[in-house]
Amino acid sequence: MRDYWLSKMFFDLQQPALAAEFRADRDSVLDRYSLSPEVRSAIAESNVPFLAERTNAYLLRYYFFATGMKDAEFIRKLRGG
Amino acid sequence: MGSFAGAFAASHGPLLVREWESVPAEQKQRLTRAFQELGKRVSAARADVLVAVSPDHWANFSLDNYPAVCIGVGETNEGPPEPWMKGYPHRQIPAHPGLAFHLLNQSLGEGFEPSMSHRLKLDHGTCIPLWRMELPKMPAIVPMLVNSIEPPMPSLARCLEWGKLLRKAIESFPGSLRVGILATGGLSHSIGEKTMGAIHEDFDRETIRLFGSSEQDLIRYLGRELPSRGNGSEEVRNWLVAHGAAGGRGFELVDYLPVPAVIVGCGFASWR
Repeated sequence: MRDYWLSKMFFDLQQPALAAEFRADRDSVLDRYSLSPEVRSAIAESNVPFLAERTNAYLLRYYFFATGMKDAEFIRKLRGG
Repeated sequence: MGSFAGAFAASHGPLLVREWESVPAEQKQRLTRAFQELGKRVSAARADVLVAVSPDHWANFSLDNYPAVCIGVGETNEGPPEPWMKGYPHRQIPAHPGLAFHLLNQSLGEGFEPSMSHRLKLDHGTCIPLWRMELPKMPAIVPMLVNSIEPPMPSLARCLEWGKLLRKAIESFPGSLRVGILATGGLSHSIGEKTMGAIHEDFDRETIRLFGSSEQDLIRYLGRELPSRGNGSEEVRNWLVAHGAAGGRGFELVDYLPVPAVIVGCGFASWR
């Protein structure tokens, strides 16, 4: 399953300027995308398995890399740990 | 007329740059030698142009439009957009629109329907091999982006057929031009999945062996195994394009080594 708006936001966040804006004021960036409340919560909680079911695996990894999550933690969360 | 200068393949992966310092010394040395040896072979082939067959790692395409195959026909290519590729020395990479349009027209005439782009960013998939091969002179690059990132993807058989078509198109180019193929990606790796970090050495070695066997055996094996060998392994499609272009005669393995520090089964090949 693909959540278009989630995937679009992850794609857009590859732009360093938007990524910086996201770090400074996450909600203002989230407001620009038609994200469901569940997806917004999953982003707030870094719920990796929930997001993994809704986007491309490469985009998911790019997003968490850009937010500063180490690969080891990302993999642990991905596996539900 | 155009002539076929050879086909080559090399793995890529962000950690070859980002985590290079954490690669054990012996593996670092082997990787460096493999890239350099491939670079020597590419240079010896005296290619004026390389058709770089690689996936697009979300550098150009999004879910708004993700083509199965895209040929870059622009006057130039842009360098890699990834912030961690800022050390790559080329922000503009020479292109060859004359050959690119010829490939595009020939493919459309043969019943293939690639998309086209007049301005592509060449991400780490293409640029890590170009960088690490240390080519003394950068040939012009015609990018051919094959989707191995977002399902559904072009069939394995179609990728082989693409290679055969490229060969025919290169040899019908109306002008003196030597054209090589550089396939990038693979072999096994897994990115952003629960299996992230897994390298399937058995799969990689059998895939390498089967490139010296029949097309049917190779396609059958890959078709059966790819769904359980990590999403990055899908990039073997690019090797199939090179294989088809080279006439399916198998390749000389420059080196293969699984490198856990970069989470990729790293393969380097030049076709016979």
